Amino acid sequence: MSDFHELIKSFPKTREYVRDFFVYGFKTRNEFKNKSPRTYDNERRRLESWLSPFVHKDHLSNGANISLAIDSNLLDTNPLFRVWKTKSFTDNDIVFHFFILDLLQDGGKMTAEEITDDLLTEYEAFFDIQTVRRKCNAYQKEGLLQKQRKGKTVVYSLDTSLAQWLKSNETILDALAFFQLAGNLGMIGNQLTDQFDYQNQTFRVKHSFFVHTLEDEILLDLLNIIHQQKSAALEIKSSKKGVINTTYCVPLQIFISTRSGRRFLCAYIDRSKRFTCFRLDTIKKVTPLEKTEAYEELQTKLNRNRRQLWGVSFQGRERHHLDKLTMTIQVFEPKESYIVDRLRREGRGGTVTKTAPNIYQYEIEVFDCNEMLPWIRTFIGRILSLECSAKSVERRFYEDLQTMYQMYQIEE
Amino acid sequence: MELFSEIYNCYYQVLRHLLCTQTALTKQQIGDQICGEGFEESLLSIIPKLENGSWNLFHQDGDLFFSKLTSSFITPVSTLQKSYLKALLTDPRMQLFLSQEQLENLQQMLSSVTPLWTQEQFYYYDRFIDGDPYENENYRRNFRTLLTAQKNHQYVDIDYNSPNGNRVHHHYVPARLEYSVKNDKFRVLALKNARDHNMKLEILNISRMQSVSLIEKTLSFEVDFNALIQNSYYREPLKLHIINKRNALERAMLHFANYEKNTTKIDENTYECLIYYNQIMETELLIEVMSFGPMLTVIGNDKFLKSLKARLQRQKKLITDNH
Repeated sequence: MSDFHELIKSFPKTREYVRDFFVYGFKTRNEFKNKSPRTYDNERRRLESWLSPFVHKDHLSNGANISLAIDSNLLDTNPLFRVWKTKSFTDNDIVFHFFILDLLQDGGKMTAEEITDDLLTEYEAFFDIQTVRRKCNAYQKEGLLQKQRKGKTVVYSLDTSLAQWLKSNETILDALAFFQLAGNLGMIGNQLTDQFDYQNQTFRVKHSFFVHTLEDEILLDLLNIIHQQKSAALEIKSSKKGVINTTYCVPLQIFISTRSGRRFLCAYIDRSKRFTCFRLDTIKKVTPLEKTEAYEELQTKLNRNRRQLWGVSFQGRERHHLDKLTMTIQVFEPKESYIVDRLRREGRGGTVTKTAPNIYQYEIEVFDCNEMLPWIRTFIGRILSLECSAKSVERRFYEDLQTMYQMYQIEE
Repeated sequence: MELFSEIYNCYYQVLRHLLCTQTALTKQQIGDQICGEGFEESLLSIIPKLENGSWNLFHQDGDLFFSKLTSSFITPVSTLQKSYLKALLTDPRMQLFLSQEQLENLQQMLSSVTPLWTQEQFYYYDRFIDGDPYENENYRRNFRTLLTAQKNHQYVDIDYNSPNGNRVHHHYVPARLEYSVKNDKFRVLALKNARDHNMKLEILNISRMQSVSLIEKTLSFEVDFNALIQNSYYREPLKLHIINKRNALERAMLHFANYEKNTTKIDENTYECLIYYNQIMETELLIEVMSFGPMLTVIGNDKFLKSLKARLQRQKKLITDNH
């Protein structure tokens, strides 16, 4: 393994490995299909290096099983953010980074020629002027340097006022400590807390699903396209067959499940004239296309449709426009009135009616009642009846119950 | 605006700390810093680069390394980070932290920046509708008092409306402020003096607090908060068998990703998953397991299995009696 490097050039391949180890956490070397043993060994070694405090190893008869043991209840940050801090660089990159930022720290403005000279005299670092100009322009693009044209000359400078302000305000650092863990694209909040040497020792997040940070690069591309109201080509890998297909759509909104942390792109497909949701972890590449003229109209239409959406499916298996579900449950009040609160709080706009003492009826019309079953099952032990205009849903609920009675030997 | 960029690399962070040290460093000190902050194998990559001069960032004098940077070095904020901050400004929870004046200052400094996202670009379709009132002045005041107390290990006097309608008054030390994404609520994981001179952990909703005031008393000893949580986990974890049908395996693995768990394959299509939990998590975990229906089989522990069977028993009786 002489060619082993701890840092990597591109993220996508690693994203798959980390996801497999984190999500499944039980694959041995033999189970990573389509990968050479050497690739597996290198990826595993990298993962162990980056995330060593969280790597858990079991020795099984069919090989070592490595997994990531991460309990979000006990952590002040997302350990998978470390994966984002592994981009490789050249010797010149790191030397230039520190010297250029140090040289311009006093707020002075310098030309590329002056910078080149000073790098040599002040820091004994030799760069040719083209390299300096190219690097300064790259840093200007990243927002680290300012570029100004003064007549025929171009000067570069550094503005640290925002950084100074952030560093001196503990309240904003507290906010960043919170949002890095609880908000979207928390990796950026984490970069900032790192940068100002501030560690979260205050906040914890319940229902935090760390693995989804691996999709943040795709999320960033999609947010940009939504902002520009453009259409896009998405390369999507089917989770079942593993085949990659290209889909053309208008990205409209990001849907998030707070129960599983899963994130979806809700988009309009012009070819089928339908809204569809794509899981972010299945999207491998996003390419922006032209601006969409009817963008506002599509947004309005989506907002209207969302009222009949339970989760992310715009059509049930029976292909009705809407299906109606009625659930009647037993609630002993006042002791169990929290169950009625649950129906109202979690019922996504369904009506809740008291039909008799200790009996409540919950009713809703949605596109796909099949999506409701996991939630309905959380009321097991209280359900008097379940009726649904999509008969397959009703059937599945009762069949699943029968299966569970058998599994756990529930007698009359 | 790249998220995966070398400027956010862990090595840059380690080097910044070393370079901002204004005293001479030994190789041992450099190594210790790398081991503390870097990855497991970073030492093997960084030390040779410093020694052979490929990263000519230090003056070397014998065994000592002297930084070439000035003492005031600070890394500027990138465009990506500015756009992130601008997006946070539109989040109602930001008002819990920043004063109006600070919000305006930050807004001013970021006036030319495009936010990375807007609130309406995200839709949380299964979030509960009774989230905390972040606009409420009393709520914000309580939140800030708790934050101050947590950071100073200070006791607070909390006047609280308990879920059963009683009003209670107690002294606590806030150990952590916990946010639930699903409930959109903050809770305080608070330590309270127990009778046996130990501390016990209680969980209080901030929105149920009438008032919170600081008391001139601080916690005089260290409490290992994580040990307190881990010790509260049942000795026997929940043991599940997952049959990989209807994509149940992936769904279950993602769904339970926020618990400490251990999964192994036991035969061609069945996986065993151990989930560690405590009494506070028990009911929530039970209804999460029920939501999977027959796709998961609970093998143990006995207590959990008994609760599940009781619910199923009750369900069977309800349907039989009702038809």
